[in-house]
Amino acid sequence: MKEKTEKIKYALVTGGSRGIGSAICLQLAKDSNYKLLINYRGNKEAAEATLENVKALGGQGELLQFDVANAEQVATVLDNWQDNNKDAIIEVIVNNAGITKDNLFMWMKREDWTNVIDTSLHGFFNVTNHLIQKLLVNRYGRIINMVSVSGLKGTAGQTNYSAAKGAVIAATKALAQEVAKRKITVNAVAPGFIVSDMTSDLDEKELKKMIPVNRFGKAEEVAHLVSFLASDKSSYITGEVININGGIYS
Amino acid sequence: MSNLATMTKEDIIIKTNAFLIDEFEVDEDDISSDADLKETLELDSLDYVDLVVSVESNFNVKLNADDFTGIVTLQNFYDLLEKKLK
Repeated sequence: MKEKTEKIKYALVTGGSRGIGSAICLQLAKDSNYKLLINYRGNKEAAEATLENVKALGGQGELLQFDVANAEQVATVLDNWQDNNKDAIIEVIVNNAGITKDNLFMWMKREDWTNVIDTSLHGFFNVTNHLIQKLLVNRYGRIINMVSVSGLKGTAGQTNYSAAKGAVIAATKALAQEVAKRKITVNAVAPGFIVSDMTSDLDEKELKKMIPVNRFGKAEEVAHLVSFLASDKSSYITGEVININGGIYS
Repeated sequence: MSNLATMTKEDIIIKTNAFLIDEFEVDEDDISSDADLKETLELDSLDYVDLVVSVESNFNVKLNADDFTGIVTLQNFYDLLEKKLK
């Protein structure tokens, strides 16, 4: 092969403005040399705050606004960015953007079913599929899919979310086998109850009784795991789902 | 760069062979029009990604997965490029 010119390396975190996504951005800023692409959909203020915090840690980054569920928008924004950053390669993809629309299945509206699947499952496809060719040519990469304990054991009231996350877990295993030869690893991280906006309505006092560690997890604890998976230290781990849930059997 | 639109079949073959040897480390002796891309040239499915990229940089032509349907030999591949460059 021809000598490759040294590229500027980026890590893209979808849904990076808040919660676990924001914690991942900060941890990558601390642990790696990657420049960060912080994706957000609507909350620009939170995304800017995350970017400020990244910079305060000595990291570099920029914001990318798009809705992962919108394939056309994903393609346009990523292509525009790449056109303006010809020497850049997105080497780490953290598919973190996700939404919940919980309801008992008997009351679940089709819209709530499809919206959750559009973001969590199709969002994974839209972003990863668009970037995979460049990763294959790069012959190195890290894809980390944020899933959930719900995608493994199922959670009542979350048939939509459980279905989406379960599907991403299966896709993780399949894609891992496809691209392993090119030193690209694909793993899933399955958090249990983590303190974030997504769990703010939950009754921690009641729920922690079923968690052996006896508390909700912190976003930073998840971010450490993601940061490890994003590093070259994790090179022999691929196609795995790693639970981080305080000991809930899953 | 020579004008791509007016390239003769011969030009296409020379240029293609050159990047196969240069970028894909294909042995010059293995190159013949009936050589099987997968077998003789030892291209695995992921190598096609590099092939697409090389074709784009050498010929300014974008190939997609459908273009490779029925492409078995090097001759098929030259023919595909000729068709695309028209």
